[in-house]
Amino acid sequence: MYKDSATFIHQNSHDPTVLDKTLKREIKLARNIQLQLLNGKTPVFEGGEVSGSSIPARLIGGDYFDFYPLVNGKIRIVVGDVMGKGIPAAMLMILTRGAFRSAAETTKSPADTLKSMNQALYDDLRTLKSFVTLICADWDPKTYELTYANAGHTLPLYIKGKEKVVEELPRVKGIMVGGLPNQVYHNQTVHLDKQDIIFFYTDGIIEAQNNSSEQYKLHRLIAALLENKQNSVSEIEKNILASIEDFTEGAPQRDDITMVLLKIGEQEAEISSLNSPVMK
Amino acid sequence: MLTIEKEVQNVTAILKIKGLIDITTTNIIDLYMEDIGNVETVLIDFSSLEFIDSTGIGSIMNAIYLSKEKNFKLKLQGIDEITNEVFETVGLYDILEAFDGEVI
Repeated sequence: MYKDSATFIHQNSHDPTVLDKTLKREIKLARNIQLQLLNGKTPVFEGGEVSGSSIPARLIGGDYFDFYPLVNGKIRIVVGDVMGKGIPAAMLMILTRGAFRSAAETTKSPADTLKSMNQALYDDLRTLKSFVTLICADWDPKTYELTYANAGHTLPLYIKGKEKVVEELPRVKGIMVGGLPNQVYHNQTVHLDKQDIIFFYTDGIIEAQNNSSEQYKLHRLIAALLENKQNSVSEIEKNILASIEDFTEGAPQRDDITMVLLKIGEQEAEISSLNSPVMK
Repeated sequence: MLTIEKEVQNVTAILKIKGLIDITTTNIIDLYMEDIGNVETVLIDFSSLEFIDSTGIGSIMNAIYLSKEKNFKLKLQGIDEITNEVFETVGLYDILEAFDGEVI
């Protein structure tokens, strides 16, 4: 009979040291899976750049972001936050990712994607007494239009490249995925200009706490974004994380932190069927 | 830390929330709700709430679904501006309304 390490562990299942080691190894493997799925390929396209990053509060987490290049040259972006933290949230995050990938392929707009995801996930999320907040957006490099729909998520910030202004994107209502069945979501569209930035994020950023239990809050995030708006998306990302780390002074991270940036370039996009977004 | 003061007046149970509703404390509110007894109305008072995270919102959602199962009306009160914004954003009030609950 074939025996592997798992067989050995099963036979020693009463030994707490062996169990502890097994658990640690499996959580580490789960973390690797999640990090690889989250930090996969990023779309490269003319006329702008996108980037995303996620740092779980524990070894694994429930935040989620993804990019999906559409055949019409648009890029579909999603950012989500599964209720809770740790392993249970991470399992539901994987479920959410599957639902997004499947819905993005077959739906025409962000609102349709969220509707399809809610239909796919509602029963499971209710059974598990959980929910996911999601924001989904399509960036069209040809028309400079960002169309988005919201399922209970914090609205992204809009940093105007030519002005010293940061504001929330116009509000669009929609309840979290897993809250009620048969939900209809609505699209909202904004026209972006060169150098504009859209900052999608989860609340772990503004609720990050220092050792005096003060929160990072929106005003510090806005200040950090204004200070960095001339930088590339990866530099902005790095500097925002550094700003949060400076503020929290090594206090334990309470919630998962996720951000996705879309920055419109200086150059006009010359989109043809040959230079649609590619994943790199 | 979370403490809950429960008071029953005729057919109404009042749960006064004090402190944080997060992943470390939601089981307390869940237990209170499961053991709410035979009442017509449950009023959750958030006047002394300090912070609520997504797990806490999950607990309030469970209370909403439980209101249908156990046939009571759920009312929420004492919600401050920040919590109101969070409840509004996630769509908690829409769910409450769908289950005939209300904010007072």
